Amino acid sequence: MAILGKTHGRLFLSPLAAFLLLFLGFPALVNLVYSVSTVSFETLRSPTLSGFGNYLTVVRDGEFWRAFGFSLRFGLLTALAECLLGLFLAVFLAPLLSKRPILLAPLMLPLMVAPAMVGLMYRLVLHEFAGPVPYYLFEWFGDSPAFLDPQTAFWTLAVVEVLQWTPFAFLLFYAAYLAIPDALREAAALDGAGAWKILRFIELPLMMPTLVIAFFIRFIDGFRVFDNIYALTGAGAGGSTTSLSMFIYQAFFKEGAIGKAVAASVILFIASLLFLMSLNRLARLRRR
Amino acid sequence: MKRTKITLALAALLASAALPAQAKVTVLGWPGGSEETALRAAVEAYNKAPDTSENDKVELLFFNREGFYDKLQADMAAGSDAFDANLVATYSIGRYAPYMEPVDLGPDAAKVFGDTVLKTMQFDGKQYGVPTDLSLHFMYYRKDLIDALMRDDEAKAKYKEIAKAELGKDLEPKDPDSWTWDDWAATTLYFSKGVNRSSPVRYGTVLQMKNLLFNMMVFQSLPRSYGGDWTDASGAVTVDSPAYRTGLELYKKLYDAGASPRDSLSYEYAETNAAFASGQAATALQWNAAAADLTSAEKSPTVADVTGIVAPPAGPNGRADHIHGLGLGINKNGKNKEGAAKFLRWLATEDAALLYARNGGSPALTPEVVAKVAKERPDLVKLGEFAGKYGYVMTGATSANALSVYELQAKEFTGYWSGQQDLDTALSKTKSGMQDLLKK
Repeated sequence: MAILGKTHGRLFLSPLAAFLLLFLGFPALVNLVYSVSTVSFETLRSPTLSGFGNYLTVVRDGEFWRAFGFSLRFGLLTALAECLLGLFLAVFLAPLLSKRPILLAPLMLPLMVAPAMVGLMYRLVLHEFAGPVPYYLFEWFGDSPAFLDPQTAFWTLAVVEVLQWTPFAFLLFYAAYLAIPDALREAAALDGAGAWKILRFIELPLMMPTLVIAFFIRFIDGFRVFDNIYALTGAGAGGSTTSLSMFIYQAFFKEGAIGKAVAASVILFIASLLFLMSLNRLARLRRR
Repeated sequence: MKRTKITLALAALLASAALPAQAKVTVLGWPGGSEETALRAAVEAYNKAPDTSENDKVELLFFNREGFYDKLQADMAAGSDAFDANLVATYSIGRYAPYMEPVDLGPDAAKVFGDTVLKTMQFDGKQYGVPTDLSLHFMYYRKDLIDALMRDDEAKAKYKEIAKAELGKDLEPKDPDSWTWDDWAATTLYFSKGVNRSSPVRYGTVLQMKNLLFNMMVFQSLPRSYGGDWTDASGAVTVDSPAYRTGLELYKKLYDAGASPRDSLSYEYAETNAAFASGQAATALQWNAAAADLTSAEKSPTVADVTGIVAPPAGPNGRADHIHGLGLGINKNGKNKEGAAKFLRWLATEDAALLYARNGGSPALTPEVVAKVAKERPDLVKLGEFAGKYGYVMTGATSANALSVYELQAKEFTGYWSGQQDLDTALSKTKSGMQDLLKK
């Protein structure tokens, strides 16, 4: 017997629906209008509809595609590295952590720091005259590489991102690893399977949904990266470290090209939605 | 009932405590640092003055510095009346002018600040603010290193050899106050281990080359001293001039030769200070604000006693020093614009400017006025002198899109310095971008 009828359900949901409409729906609607309008800071309240010109400007802008490429490369690379490292740590450290769970706390520390702070921290750590890393490299080897020049900045930024977010992937994988019943491992062992075979044929397949979700979350986070890059290199020499979020920020605030910035955001939103839907579809096909 | 009454009384008490005092003019200032301290002192004196009525008393409001101008722009565009006077900077006057009202600073303002400095707060020929603080650039150099070079004949010979080989010019070491850009370049090359293995320091200079608009301000004085400007008298963009080419090529030459740290393309104010303070750089073209830190034995023990300061080197057109000011102007949507105008007129008087200077502010004052605070603020003497003699504002640098022009230059010029594009491409992209921005 249903405890509550449809009417009650709608009634209880209405505050949430109103909240979403007001705080997400309204800005989204305004953004959609701005994206097809000629608008500036002076005409925020009276934009003039101008068709899809802003979208055309965005897709014809080489800088947009360059930023898109940067974000895509950054998102894929960091998500992959974080998942691989996180998985390795989860499996490798599981026996130790089951005996000393307190060790989880220090492993989680990087997650506690705001990304912008991480950027500022590495700006200091990697500085040739103030940072400990170049200092010891000069002491030991008489030279230090330029960590933030255009040739190496991408890799430095990726390493910083991976160092901060690997613990997140590790936490998810460790939880998934612990959830696998020991009976399965014992049965496989009785059948003669070694550690590698147990990992390959028992543990990894069972952890696969978590692996996919973690990769997806980390990819989205890496794709829309802003804070730590903004603090470390900004847009980079010649725009070499401009992520898509930074492109939108610059178009909006620095160029005052509001229509273009909003159109780029809408394109980013649609791309993310398509990615999510394809992933969902893939998961459904796999279940069949 | 009794509990309700107590609750209501407490609520009333809290509400009254949360209300502002009787101040009627709200001023949005530049938060943190010496500017805030000086403004607080000035406001305190203004509010205590006998001829300041209750309705004209000033209350201060501060945002965070991070993203200040973006937040200010959003606030002003939304027609905010939360403040009557607001901070404005030279390069953003044109952007905020539609939301501001011109201000009459009175006849004495020119005697206090001088015309060049007042110009930093003008747009379309109208005065939009009182210039409270001025920023320009000093050439910081190591006196001990230059003295040693000037005394040593062998070192002089090596210097000449490097100047000939790297710059193709016959140059001799000179006193920094009479440097041309070529002299400076030869000196930086001589003091770079990448060029001269026997250099006592690692680098000859520290170039601020990050893709950042403020770094473009530091750079401008080099092309300017070669006659460079953003536009000519007819309004045509002239950024592809030989002057800009010379400046851009010189920076690239020094960077490629290893005269500046390899990470220079990510350097801005803080990194440059750290590099010079470490004692591993012979010169640095840096903001005047760094003088206090670089000559403080506590903050820069390695270089404090041996740091010399001169104006930027000269080009064929003499010396040039990029100036930009912070100031306060009137918000068009403010509730008490008359009160705000009265406060700003007072701030432009000699007494107020001296009070502001004595409390840590950095106003650029005329020689007659600055002489009155020379003992307490010797740095302001240089500031006023350099601003008066060499200060300039590029044509178009107070227009609505000036900020975007600096941003564009930062992107394209750093693209050239980092080797991602050639000089012709960089200048052509900058020119076409500037044509769009300056015609808007």
